[in-house]
Amino acid sequence: MPAQPLNRICYVEDDEDIQRIVRMSLERIGKMTVEVIGDPMVAIDAIKAFKPELVILDWMMPGMDGPTLYRKMKEVPEVRDLPVVFITAKASQKELDELRALGAAGTISKPFSPMELPVLLRAIWKALP
Amino acid sequence: MNPRSAAPSLAVPQRGADARDSADPKRVLADRVEQLYSQMPLGIAATLAIGGIATYELWDQRTRDLVLFWWGLVLLITAARAALYFGYRSSKDKLAEAAQWLRWLGISALANGVNWGFAGAVFFPSHTDEQQVFLAFLLAGIASAGIPTYAASWPMFAIYAGAIVLPFTYVLATFGNRLFAEIALLVPVFYLANVGIAYRLNQVFYSGYRLRHAYGRLTEDYTALNKRLEQQLVELDEAQRQVEASGRKLALFAERAPIAVLELDAAGRIQQINNAAENLFGWTSNELVEKDASVKILIRPEYHADFDTQWQQLIASRAPLAHLKIRNPRRDGLEVVCDWNVTPLVNTEGGVVGVIAQGQDITRQMEAEQLKKEFTSTLSHELRTPLTSIIGSLQLINSGVLGNMDPEVAELTGVAERNGQRLLDLINDILDIEKIESGKLSLVPELVTLDELVGESLVLNKGFAERFQVRYEPRGTLLPVQVKADRKRLLQVMTNLLSNAAKFSPAGEAVEVTMEDLGARVRISVHDHGPGIPENFRARIFGRFAQADSSATRQKGGTGLGLAICKRLIEMMDGRIGFTDRDGGGSVFYFELPKHAAV
Repeated sequence: MPAQPLNRICYVEDDEDIQRIVRMSLERIGKMTVEVIGDPMVAIDAIKAFKPELVILDWMMPGMDGPTLYRKMKEVPEVRDLPVVFITAKASQKELDELRALGAAGTISKPFSPMELPVLLRAIWKALP
Repeated sequence: MNPRSAAPSLAVPQRGADARDSADPKRVLADRVEQLYSQMPLGIAATLAIGGIATYELWDQRTRDLVLFWWGLVLLITAARAALYFGYRSSKDKLAEAAQWLRWLGISALANGVNWGFAGAVFFPSHTDEQQVFLAFLLAGIASAGIPTYAASWPMFAIYAGAIVLPFTYVLATFGNRLFAEIALLVPVFYLANVGIAYRLNQVFYSGYRLRHAYGRLTEDYTALNKRLEQQLVELDEAQRQVEASGRKLALFAERAPIAVLELDAAGRIQQINNAAENLFGWTSNELVEKDASVKILIRPEYHADFDTQWQQLIASRAPLAHLKIRNPRRDGLEVVCDWNVTPLVNTEGGVVGVIAQGQDITRQMEAEQLKKEFTSTLSHELRTPLTSIIGSLQLINSGVLGNMDPEVAELTGVAERNGQRLLDLINDILDIEKIESGKLSLVPELVTLDELVGESLVLNKGFAERFQVRYEPRGTLLPVQVKADRKRLLQVMTNLLSNAAKFSPAGEAVEVTMEDLGARVRISVHDHGPGIPENFRARIFGRFAQADSSATRQKGGTGLGLAICKRLIEMMDGRIGFTDRDGGGSVFYFELPKHAAV
């Protein structure tokens, strides 16, 4: 379990409405600092700049999907060790298995409750080695 | 008719090297007896005539009483022989009684012979020379006549003639006359010669009888064989007609079948195709059959090697293959997907003489399945994503973290959030049932401790209980029993049962949860205080979109899919689900799961 509590989060998501809800949830309820990134093509640079403790990736995004972005992150030393949580509306067992195989720290299914999102993320954070 | 039954059995009955050996000895004996008895009327008549003449010739005052006595014996014996004859003729089972009738005839022959012997012995010494010559001539004739009379039984002749000549020989030998003594020496020689002739004659007769019976039997055998052959020819003819009719029917079925039917030889060359196959693949029957085309024309070239391997296995195993889904190229370059059933035709020696391939075009079905898959995926993503925004926004507003609202606005945003949640539940249920029914829902079994899971479900659904103003209460002891189940899906079942119980229980009541140990299984029950299950709804309560009262359901919320999903999930976990009436009103919904056996 990491020594410090979860505070800084990067969220890569193209849907502006969900961006707003997640930001409100994490900032207002979770009292966390959130950086929302709308374009996955510039996400790695933004993550490097923000230096989050955990990254949330949407699965389906235009230009580059979440798993592809995650693979690219693995190639960049500054971000390769960051824990990644996927938010997905795809819920098949096969796809969840694929995410776990990629090394994802956790998955959260859409739709999620913004009231419970900070709790879920903190539970995943606590479960990290 | 079973064609096997028509298989001809033409085995000729085996006979010995000499056909006569096959004659039935009983029948031969009966024939001999019949022959002997057939001579009796003539013998009786001859005895009476010769006896009468002898009585007349030998009659004189001196020997009158003796001659009369002898004549009386002749009449008595003849009467007895006549009675024997008529007794035989009236017999109903001459075959079975042949030996008995033969013995009686032997006795009668002996009696007859003895009577003539008596005449020779008594009357020869007492009469004149002329009468002696008459008597000797008479006895010789009587004895010789026995040869044809008893030709069917030489021992009978020997008894008969012996009884005549032996007393006469004795009289000649002891008469005191040298000539008579010499004749006495010759008489036994004549007697033995006659017995020998009778024996030979008897052998000829005997052989004749045996031949007659042997050929009689052969004739019977061949008549029976002929009849059997005729019957079998009729059956074969019928079987052939049936086979031809079946063949015509099969050909018609194949020709008119809506699916493609191909007949191939053991090397995979096309021998025949039906109209449906011509239409489906674009080649005519003539083009494929006359060119001796391989069925590989219907396989994409990159799969030819795989096809060869599978074909060899098919021919070697001779086992039919079913539901092979293959993408087949058409003549116009397009492709169709077919579901193939392939059946080797095996002859009685076990060799493959051909292969029948039946293919159903499932291209549209596959496209429909793909469309359904895409639709499900779209439903999953494109509806869930906006719902995340809608429900998430409403939850944030209703939670008050963004500030207080006007009560009427809060009421309306509450309505919006609840209905958004309802819509989401419906989508999730539809996706679940679709996945279950298409066999695509896979469970993740793990060891689940049931008291913990039940406790967790009560906590998770607390909000639901509060909304309907009921309480969830465990009753009795929750058992720490372990089951092998999908934890998430088991929670889904519990959530469904608890939410149903809350919806249909009056405000202020308790919804109770119990656990029972049933030995190898464990039962979890949810007891509600609702109106119970209407009689006409019980049979379909676990069906899809099953709702007892659609207006009430709309009022309470729910999709009508929940229990159908629960039933399928529990059955996938090797359990069973059901319901009973609760004492005092309400219902009890329960499910049972097999306990995990600790290793």
